[in-house]
Amino acid sequence: MKTRSQRMALSAAGLVVALLFFFPTYWMLTTALKKPGDILSTDYDLIPFSATVDNFTTAITKPGFTTFLTNSLIVTLGAVACALVAGLLAAVPLARMRFSGRRGFVLLVLVAQLAPLEALFVPMYLIMRDANLLDTLPSLLLVYMAFTLPFTIWTLRGFVKGIPIELEEAAMVDGCGRWGVFRRVTLPLLGPGLVATSVFGFVTAWNEFLYALVFMRDQSKQTLPVWLSSFRTAFGTDWGGIMAASVIYALPALVFFMLVQRKLVAGTTAGAVKG
Amino acid sequence: MTAPTVNPLRPAEAPPRAARPQRRFTAQRAAPYLMLAPAVVILVALLGWPALQVLGISFRRLDLGELIRGEIVWVGFDNYREVLSDPEFWVIGLRTVLFTGACVLATVGIGLGIAVLMRHLDAPVRIALQVALVLAWATPIIATTTVFQWMFDQQYGILNKTLVALGFDGFAGYSWFTSGVSTLSVIGLLILWQAVPFVAFTLYAGLLGASKDLYEAASIDGATPLQAFRAVSWPAVRPLLTMVTFLSVLWDFKVFTQIWALKQGGPDGESTTLPVLLYLKGISGSHFGVASAVAVLMLLILVGVTWRYMRLLVRSQETEL
Repeated sequence: MKTRSQRMALSAAGLVVALLFFFPTYWMLTTALKKPGDILSTDYDLIPFSATVDNFTTAITKPGFTTFLTNSLIVTLGAVACALVAGLLAAVPLARMRFSGRRGFVLLVLVAQLAPLEALFVPMYLIMRDANLLDTLPSLLLVYMAFTLPFTIWTLRGFVKGIPIELEEAAMVDGCGRWGVFRRVTLPLLGPGLVATSVFGFVTAWNEFLYALVFMRDQSKQTLPVWLSSFRTAFGTDWGGIMAASVIYALPALVFFMLVQRKLVAGTTAGAVKG
Repeated sequence: MTAPTVNPLRPAEAPPRAARPQRRFTAQRAAPYLMLAPAVVILVALLGWPALQVLGISFRRLDLGELIRGEIVWVGFDNYREVLSDPEFWVIGLRTVLFTGACVLATVGIGLGIAVLMRHLDAPVRIALQVALVLAWATPIIATTTVFQWMFDQQYGILNKTLVALGFDGFAGYSWFTSGVSTLSVIGLLILWQAVPFVAFTLYAGLLGASKDLYEAASIDGATPLQAFRAVSWPAVRPLLTMVTFLSVLWDFKVFTQIWALKQGGPDGESTTLPVLLYLKGISGSHFGVASAVAVLMLLILVGVTWRYMRLLVRSQETEL
């Protein structure tokens, strides 16, 4: 049993680590709430005394904000949805069936995870140009889907394996067809896994900057990461503005994360242990 | 799952051919391929084909002129010769490997420490810690990078202000980005801040998987905390540790956005890593052939580093069913 002083020491250590990890978020939020004059002051200002929401209003009313937000949401959610469908279709046979070519496919998925995004840039650009997809949202959607698919397949495979096969067999014995089994047994049990897996795709696509910058030459077709970079100009950085924009930009990801955090952990573990 | 159960979803164990109509049999055999088809099409068309093209381009001279004219100029191994004969490449390559190694070691080490700590914390403190970790994890890369830049700002950064307030007057107006080592340290911190939560949560989940009884048994046997860790916790987290190390190697080796956004690989290229070199040669320099050679070399290094683990994974796939 732990003594009182040991528990105190552990709690203190836990709180220090929590503070260290919380600090940048805290700093982002407080800077966003400061007046421009207070931001660029040399006073020691760990605790802000004056607050304003001006930075948020400026950020949201910047021209194009809603367009960029919509673009980002369409591209990200679209890519995640497509990757989930294709990934689930591939994960089921990978987890449950024996067929020749399995080994090759597994290798393909693993190697695909190694590819650095920046490396495939030129051929991707050429493909999109030849398909007349530059300056359109589908070009980004396709790229993000492709980049998140290997991870999606890999994690979903772990989740499918996590479902006891006996449950599916029992439903079969009860006269369910194969599709019925999938729809009534497998899919509901996979729910948390699908949500957890989609988080990774969401964050990857939501964050992507380079492809968005180059594929979308038309300013009005940009996504949020590019919008975020527009707060820095040759004349300097609007720190209050960029912090407020960062908070807004981080919110969807944060909310999504908070909702699925528990399932996420269970998911990564399932994927790994079943190796 | 070793018991030879009758599994209707598994064609290999289907009843003998003669017992079933031929049509059904072929449909069953085709099922996995049909289900894999969309993924294969996407992977081959959008990753495999471009990857092959990168390999092809690495043997061509492809600058902006050739790209616009659609010319194909084969130069053999010239690009590789150019990259490999540049001493700068070896410096950058070594730096990338060392940087990745340091980041991975720190991430996994700190992550494991936090996971063990979480297991010993009382609920309120543990939840506070978990919320802080999730916030760090979920904040998008670009937002995080900007916040770090702001915290480390020469004039108005909170870090310098705090150091001065603590009496270290030398840090007034101190720039953290004058040397490559210091710049890379800031980038490393930034990567740690975002990568540790994933590792900590995953390993914590693994630790929870080790049953409480085992810890109790260990404590009855009079095991010291260290002995209990080695006997009970270690076996539970070991496979997970391998996985998070593998993923961290992949992610940290390929880090680009953070490095580029912070100082564009500066000062004087001292924080340039292979992905930054790739960007400089390719996208900003328009030497796509040379950039492709760098990309191929990068992939070779990654395959070399992760080869053993990938072989293990593929083999376990074969024996598992």
